[in-house]
Amino acid sequence: MDTDQLITGLVTISLMAPLVTAAAITLLTRRVMFKAAGWFATVVMAGSFVCALFALLQWMGREGDSAIVTKVPWIPLGGGDWLYLGILYDSLTGAMLAMVTGISTLVHLYSIGYMEGDKRFNRFFAYLSLFTFSMLGIVTANSIIMLFVFWELVGFTSYLLIGFWFEKRGPQLACKKAFVMNRIGDAGFLVGFGILFYQVGAKLMVPAVGDGDGNMFAAVHDLLAASGQSVTENPPAWLTVAGIGLFCGAIGKSAQFPLHTWLPDAMEGPTPVSSIVHSATMVAAGVYLTGRIYPILTPEAHLFVATIGLITLVMAACMALVMTDIKRVLAYSTLSQLGYMILGLGTGAYAFAMFHLITHAFFKCCLFQCSGSVINAMHHEQDMRHYGGLAKKMPITALCYFVCTLAIAGASIPYTLIGISGFYSKDGIIAGAYNFGHAAEGTLGAWAALFYWGPTVVAYLTVFYMARSFALTFLGKPRDEEKYRHAHEAPWTMTLPQGVLAIMAILTVPMVLPFLDLINGSLDAMKDLGVTWVQPGVHGPDDHGVHFVHGALLHGLAWIIALVAGIALYMPGMRYSAKIAAVPGINVLHRWILNKFYFDALYDVFVVGLAKLIAFVARMVDTWIVDGAVNGTAVLTRWLADCTGIFDNRVVDGVANGAAALTHSGGQLLRQTHGGRVRHYVLVVFASAVIVLLIVVIAAHGL
Amino acid sequence: MSSIGLTHFVLVSFALLVAGVVTVLTKRNAIGILIGVELILNAAGINFVAFNRYSYGNMDGIMFAVFIIVLAAAEAAIALAIFLNFYNNFSSIDVERADGLRG
Repeated sequence: MDTDQLITGLVTISLMAPLVTAAAITLLTRRVMFKAAGWFATVVMAGSFVCALFALLQWMGREGDSAIVTKVPWIPLGGGDWLYLGILYDSLTGAMLAMVTGISTLVHLYSIGYMEGDKRFNRFFAYLSLFTFSMLGIVTANSIIMLFVFWELVGFTSYLLIGFWFEKRGPQLACKKAFVMNRIGDAGFLVGFGILFYQVGAKLMVPAVGDGDGNMFAAVHDLLAASGQSVTENPPAWLTVAGIGLFCGAIGKSAQFPLHTWLPDAMEGPTPVSSIVHSATMVAAGVYLTGRIYPILTPEAHLFVATIGLITLVMAACMALVMTDIKRVLAYSTLSQLGYMILGLGTGAYAFAMFHLITHAFFKCCLFQCSGSVINAMHHEQDMRHYGGLAKKMPITALCYFVCTLAIAGASIPYTLIGISGFYSKDGIIAGAYNFGHAAEGTLGAWAALFYWGPTVVAYLTVFYMARSFALTFLGKPRDEEKYRHAHEAPWTMTLPQGVLAIMAILTVPMVLPFLDLINGSLDAMKDLGVTWVQPGVHGPDDHGVHFVHGALLHGLAWIIALVAGIALYMPGMRYSAKIAAVPGINVLHRWILNKFYFDALYDVFVVGLAKLIAFVARMVDTWIVDGAVNGTAVLTRWLADCTGIFDNRVVDGVANGAAALTHSGGQLLRQTHGGRVRHYVLVVFASAVIVLLIVVIAAHGL
Repeated sequence: MSSIGLTHFVLVSFALLVAGVVTVLTKRNAIGILIGVELILNAAGINFVAFNRYSYGNMDGIMFAVFIIVLAAAEAAIALAIFLNFYNNFSSIDVERADGLRG
């Protein structure tokens, strides 16, 4: 078996294993599976991870960088197109596969500790495995249609997971909100997909060597080349709309502005859900999609993507500054980091954006898990104003949290290029944004500067708010004595994954260069097969962007300053920050940000209000017209039934009874001949004899 | 009236026949019915003898009338036996009592 087949086989096992788990847990009885579900799911997922890792290692040793695409024709779509079942495997897929399965394994392990005692314990693991299966399906999908199928599955399973504690009102509303907002994004996705389908038909996504069926990118490029256009020069309007449409799906799924309001509400779900869905996988699916359709994004679409990413990252960082619920801080932090990734993709720093995706998955997952441990220890108290001083009671958790705070800060040793994972990825993105901004100065004028100053300032803010949450939670004096006394370190099933993830956050450092090589290799392979795209990006360690970012971030001192400032300001609790927030100019700003820029209220009035209006009209139609028709039909039927009844009673029965009466009277009449009187009989005999004689005589002789 | 011819004899026998039939039909007494039957038979006898008077060469009619008298006697015996049985069953010789065939 050659490498390609081995990789395909491994990936198929890796993909299908969680589905088998979910089916097994659902179908086997509670008695068999209840306690065992957790470990069973974890072990199977670990096996899935091993397969994915092995496949990645095989891939790295493989010659040639073009993707492996397998396809089994499944449904014919007319016009020679087919919907294919199969997988796609290139560097991006390999990395995502290993990351998703690895994080999923750790989250499964974590959930065994976190969800202990829950009455639907086994169902949680079925949902988690199903969710992982859906995410793996997205990552290995070989065409946009299959990607969309798994896309919807991911949305649905995240709905199940967020609404896991559905007896409470909060989760009920949150899961609905998440699903509906995802759907709104998907409407845009379908518009984009429809345009593409109309123009080039349904094809596989990424080109592979020797793939005779053609693929989407080549088809688009051929179509454009036929009229002298290309994606980068003078692209047609439909391509831009298609790109933006497909990106709308990513806006919904990755909670970008304006469809971001569901993510903080989704914190109503259990913390393991937040750690996998809202940090590492589902929200990354939007970034993955944008990365996949990268070669057909026109410069205008790139600008749109970058703008959305920029707005999101700035807005979310502001909101993370003022939140008091620890999970919400992390949720907004996720939003902000996703904004970074989207910005990176929009500005052409493809490889760095993807690297940020991978590293963010690790440290954000760890952060969520640490917060979950804290919430568990403090008896489900989530407000940071009641925390404080937990480092003494929960040292491992505190350490993991601190390491991941450094990671998200992009910590580095000043004046050198040695740093933790976030350092490489974030700086790479800012560098790419700088190059993009400069290239766009002609068209955007002064606004272009926002593209690189925005992420730079937010980099400071990121460190600051993470330091704030760390200080409020783990440092200083405990602010709620009662709960503090009962706090304890989490069980090993919870601290082990945290530790592993924190270590991974550090260990991604040696992965940087190989990873970038892999990703760029895949991009080059696509270029060899005829695909071209927009790319300012980052061209090497000496270009302008890199110089800028090192300068703006003070060559690695920036994070130290912001970290110290954050810890210093918040270690004594909220005292000083409350005083700052009360300053007259700032308190208005504070209130705006605290209310999430009033987006929820806006959506409530316009979107929900509109939906309620339509529902009201529909109800009126239903009550008056539809029910009226149904009731009217019933009345009519009853009247007809009455008529039939009368007919039946009078006519039909009348005939039957009449025949009987007739027979009866006939019988009565004939009965009289049987009087029983002998003399009558004799008379009849005599009369008959006379008549017969008369007849004979008359017949013989005439009258 | 001319000399007494066949017509007169037939008319007499007819009168006897009618009397006999009416007696059979209207009498409730069993013996009365028997008398009627005898009248009918005798009317038939008169008819035979009358026709014999006006046919030449034989005495068939007269012989047949003798047979009728014998048969009438035998039949009267049988009839009386029947009426005896009737009396045993109904304790009366009123034929109206035999209405078992009434439907």
